[in-house]
Amino acid sequence: MSRGITCPRCGLVQLAGPTCKSCGAALGGPARPVGRPGVQPAAIPAEGGKAPRPPSGAPPEIRRLSFHGAGGSLFGIHVVNTFLTIVTLGVYYFWGKVRVRRYLFGQTEFEGDRFAFHGTGKELSLGTLKAVGIFLLPILLLGNLPGILALPWWVDILAGILAYLLFLTFLPMAMVGARRYRLSRTSWRGIRFGFRGELTTFLKLFWMGGVLSALTFGLYYPFFETRQQAFFVENSRFGTQGFDFDGNGRELFWSFLLTTLLLPFTFGLSWIWYLARKRRYFWEHTCVAEARFRFPITGGKLLGLYLVNLLLLLFTLGLAWPWVVIRNARFACRHLVLEGPLGLEAITQQAGEASATGEGLAGILDTDLGLGV
Amino acid sequence: MRRLVRVEWTGAYLDGRMPVRCPAAIRLLRQGLEITLADGRVLSWRYRELRQSQGFYAGEEVRLERGEPLPEALLVAEPGFLVSLHRVGREAAAHFHDPRRRSRRLILTALAGLGAALAAAGTYFWLIPAAADSAAGRVPVAWEERLGRAAVEQLAPPGTRCTDPEVARAVDTIMERLSRSIPENPYVFRVAVVNDRRVNALAAPGGHILIFRGLLERAKSPEELAGVLAHEIQHVIRRDVTRAILRHVSAGLLLAALTGDPTGAMSYGLEAAHALVSLEYSRQTEMGADVGGLALLRAARIDPAGVLSFFEGMLAAEQKTPQPPLYLSSHPSTLERLVRLRAMVRETPVAPPLPLLPEVEWRTLRLRCGGPPAGQKLPR
Repeated sequence: MSRGITCPRCGLVQLAGPTCKSCGAALGGPARPVGRPGVQPAAIPAEGGKAPRPPSGAPPEIRRLSFHGAGGSLFGIHVVNTFLTIVTLGVYYFWGKVRVRRYLFGQTEFEGDRFAFHGTGKELSLGTLKAVGIFLLPILLLGNLPGILALPWWVDILAGILAYLLFLTFLPMAMVGARRYRLSRTSWRGIRFGFRGELTTFLKLFWMGGVLSALTFGLYYPFFETRQQAFFVENSRFGTQGFDFDGNGRELFWSFLLTTLLLPFTFGLSWIWYLARKRRYFWEHTCVAEARFRFPITGGKLLGLYLVNLLLLLFTLGLAWPWVVIRNARFACRHLVLEGPLGLEAITQQAGEASATGEGLAGILDTDLGLGV
Repeated sequence: MRRLVRVEWTGAYLDGRMPVRCPAAIRLLRQGLEITLADGRVLSWRYRELRQSQGFYAGEEVRLERGEPLPEALLVAEPGFLVSLHRVGREAAAHFHDPRRRSRRLILTALAGLGAALAAAGTYFWLIPAAADSAAGRVPVAWEERLGRAAVEQLAPPGTRCTDPEVARAVDTIMERLSRSIPENPYVFRVAVVNDRRVNALAAPGGHILIFRGLLERAKSPEELAGVLAHEIQHVIRRDVTRAILRHVSAGLLLAALTGDPTGAMSYGLEAAHALVSLEYSRQTEMGADVGGLALLRAARIDPAGVLSFFEGMLAAEQKTPQPPLYLSSHPSTLERLVRLRAMVRETPVAPPLPLLPEVEWRTLRLRCGGPPAGQKLPR
């Protein structure tokens, strides 16, 4: 706090500047440098799009996540949730989901501070209800009514196509909605994450990508996935600080092709190798402020994680689910690294509204996106 | 006594505007907290304005939040803070988590586990059957018909069926005579013979019936086949299959709820239709179908001796081979059913039966779908 000065009007502690960041009162400090604070623009060597490195000589700042959750605690939460869900005939399910998420976020620590989840069961249940009413019912009706009412065959086919098109619209809506909801309900050090991606932009991206993937017999798929990732990352922010993505599908293409060709010979296991490669690549091309992520996992590590998870679930008839969740979180936290200066002092709160309908829709359609780890 | 309680604590303050931890000195008062920040500011928070969002587990930092929707927060990592908070604040601080009650939480969790197990058992053994029974009676015939068609197409794709026209004509004649005798029949029955040497027959919802070639070949007379068909017709009319599928799906949903995987239920439900073969009927259901089937045979004036001799043949085969025919394994307690059927046939006088398919040479007809089942001797 030694670098900060206190605003005489609102009392906010902040970097020295001409005016208060919160209330605008005059502070009498020096004007902030244009561009990103903390780094002299001239000091950044041009490195062809690579991550900016700290000024020569200084070791890079390395930050890691740590996860403190325990399977036993989560199992306790899960037991109580199950009991209350049964007793309330399923209504409590959403409140239970919130409790689990609060626990998981609260056990994840970054730079000495834990994350927090601010969603509520009420939001989630209303969101799901809305999603069922607006999205699921029309699809179900279109898909089943013609057959039940014994309408002519062409009505049946037409309704089927319509239902499929609706589904193809709702899926991207769910992906964007869930992302917006989850980020807006997540905070660290009291600052909310957020998402400002436009649905129409993503709809175009999603349909185009889908059509191109189909036309190229799936060859376009890695490009499609990378463009989706770019959309999701570039529109995410922490307070006022946005995230950046500089990945290109080209660099995933050959591993994708190789993996796909090897699928029949590896009993599908090569896909896990591609999955690891993709996640590694996506994180390595994600930046926030002057810092860049690294996620050095290998296919072998990922395979080990999945294999043990599968065995755990099989031999306990699914009761080990909480331990599997904890193992996944530990795995992500153990490997995710943020390298470089963060410039936290320059970030301020910027909260937006978001409804839980997309989240509810995602819950129904089973597009559990997580937060990208 | 109050002297023993520590009232001075240190923590960190987050203003909800910048991601910066501000060191804070905390003083516990009767009605609230007095927070002195590093820059000299003093905040006064009343307990009832605060809510706790973290710090429910040992070793976890306590987080107290104030304000909506973007709260300020106070973080205290030192152990023992919550206990002191309760000692000083008493009723005013009663809504915060009390670490001294963690053992009670453990007991409550165990009780909830027991309750969940009991509730799950109650749901499985009582609620699901009751709900499925009630729902099965209300499912429209058109839905059953769709479900049945899907199931039959899955179990016996057109390529696997026996298309012999004479067999089809004989089966149709039997079905025609049986279904004419059903009062107020909403179903259109469709029987397919599956080219499979196993001895089996099964009913799908909505009037679809599958007869396996093995069973056809084992039937010594048209009356025997009619007995099996009458039994399967009863399963359709009584909606036994629909009910069993509903139970199966609901049990899957329950399982998904218990394991915390709501989406697994979807695939489970879809798979249910395919599990038709393995669906087990209860003794009661079988008895009901037997009694109903017998009544149907009588109404159609078909000789009930056929059912008896079919069962006798099956029982004999069961005793001969260590592995019972499939038809028996899914239909438990054969001997008991046979004894009961015999008694019923004996006790109730009937109008003399009319001959069934007198013009058909049954001994050759039943073999028209394929050769004799390998490794098995045909009964005479």
